[in-house]
Amino acid sequence: MELSYILRICSMTILISSFALVASKRVMTYIRAFRLQSALLAAIAAIFTVYHLVEEGRLEGVAFILLLTVVLKVFYIPSLLRKISLKVEYKVEKDFFVNIPISIIICCGLVVLNWFVVSKIPELNGTPGGNYLVQSLSVVLIGLFFMISRKKAIGQIIGFLVIENGMFLTAMLMTSGMPMIVEFGIFFDLLTAVLIMGIFVFRINETFEHIDINKLRNLRG
Amino acid sequence: MFKPLASMLLQIVVVLLAAPLLSGIIKKMKAMIQHRKGAPILQLYFDLFKLFRKDVVISETASWIFTAAPYIYFVSVLGAIIFVPVIPQLFSYGFFGDAILVVYLLALSRFFLTLAALDTGSTFGGMGSSREMVISSLMEPSLIIVVFTLAASPRVQSTGFQAMYEGSAELGSGIISPVYLLLLAAVVIVLIAETARIPVDDPATHLELTMVHEAMILEYSGRYLALMEYGSALKQLLFISIIVNIFMPFGLGGGIIVTLLLYLLKICIVAVVVGLIEINTVKFRLFSVPNLAAMSLMLALLGFMSGFIFGR
Repeated sequence: MELSYILRICSMTILISSFALVASKRVMTYIRAFRLQSALLAAIAAIFTVYHLVEEGRLEGVAFILLLTVVLKVFYIPSLLRKISLKVEYKVEKDFFVNIPISIIICCGLVVLNWFVVSKIPELNGTPGGNYLVQSLSVVLIGLFFMISRKKAIGQIIGFLVIENGMFLTAMLMTSGMPMIVEFGIFFDLLTAVLIMGIFVFRINETFEHIDINKLRNLRG
Repeated sequence: MFKPLASMLLQIVVVLLAAPLLSGIIKKMKAMIQHRKGAPILQLYFDLFKLFRKDVVISETASWIFTAAPYIYFVSVLGAIIFVPVIPQLFSYGFFGDAILVVYLLALSRFFLTLAALDTGSTFGGMGSSREMVISSLMEPSLIIVVFTLAASPRVQSTGFQAMYEGSAELGSGIISPVYLLLLAAVVIVLIAETARIPVDDPATHLELTMVHEAMILEYSGRYLALMEYGSALKQLLFISIIVNIFMPFGLGGGIIVTLLLYLLKICIVAVVVGLIEINTVKFRLFSVPNLAAMSLMLALLGFMSGFIFGR
């Protein structure tokens, strides 16, 4: 089987996993869905690593990215978020602004929108690249939608991470990986962002006694 | 003249024999994973045999619909399954039935099932029928989209199952493509919902708050119950046959016997997968079923899109 064929299937499964994320109701479920998505992303990175090793005989760039993805996104960040969500006591019963069937349909609409936008670019029309671009951009948009449709602060963090996953996917599929230094920069940005947001969730919870972002508009002395 | 008749008879014999076996395998596998011994694989045959000999008890308020419904249910499911041959070699009927006919024969069977459940006027029957109708109307769009996507793909260009089987067989290992994976995922969700499997309905429970299918056949006894149970097993086999023949078209070239054995092996694999899904999920609240339906519809729609708007 040729590479582009496998990659098409992998990127489609990543798109589906972001739908699974949108369909999940509880915090633990969407942390798990995020972990699954990151694992799939790591699988794509692994395919690229093997490809580089076999075709060009060098082992750099993508291999480090693979390592970082596995360590940070598959293990460290999900377990960190899990810990935070266990410590923070929830007072929000319903976590979403739009109910799940409608949000799935909205996300489907986002994919269709992407399809039409990308099909307007003549260079990409009908090529595997165009296909990847649709799928990875859809992951970015779905992450954005996830961020605005959830009430709990942890949902926002996950949405942010999904946006990053989508951009990472775009970079990897379209250009077979950004320069390593850029990747490192993004990863450490991401890590500090998640850590800071995690501490923020704690502080919000201490100050307001809940993490429902809907109620953060009220002022507290 | 002789060959169509023979192949149809073979088809009917195979489905009638295989359908209870499939339910038995799913149950046995669930039991084994839960460290129980479980009923023997052939249990449903014994149950059906026993039920066919037992007396029938009918409510005084029941009308003729109540007694006619089991026959209509069984016959319409059997009629639907005739159009879905277990192996492609059995396509030599003198007449022609397509996927849309199959979908709506199943709808006919469901209509009489729900009508019969309403007939006696018991609360459970009414509850079960209303739930069944909600679930089936949610699942129908995605099934129809899957059928149309398969039918409109360039290799098929027909809503008949024969053309669909041939199209898949031609594709060979190219079947592992985004389009077919998405459609398969959508069909598996429909299979689970339509055959009353766990995330949607629990086939092993009689708890009044959760049952759907069981609530509808609660009033039946004796041979009527046997017909209902048999019909449900056939319906399950029908969906699994469609999955096996369209999404796993491997090794169809051999003789009838070899292909048939391979078919039995494939349906056992699907049964194991269904059992695994059942064990690893909990039953959803009824109001969460639309989420599952939306997921299935979305998968089917994305499959359709990636087949026609992009790619190919």
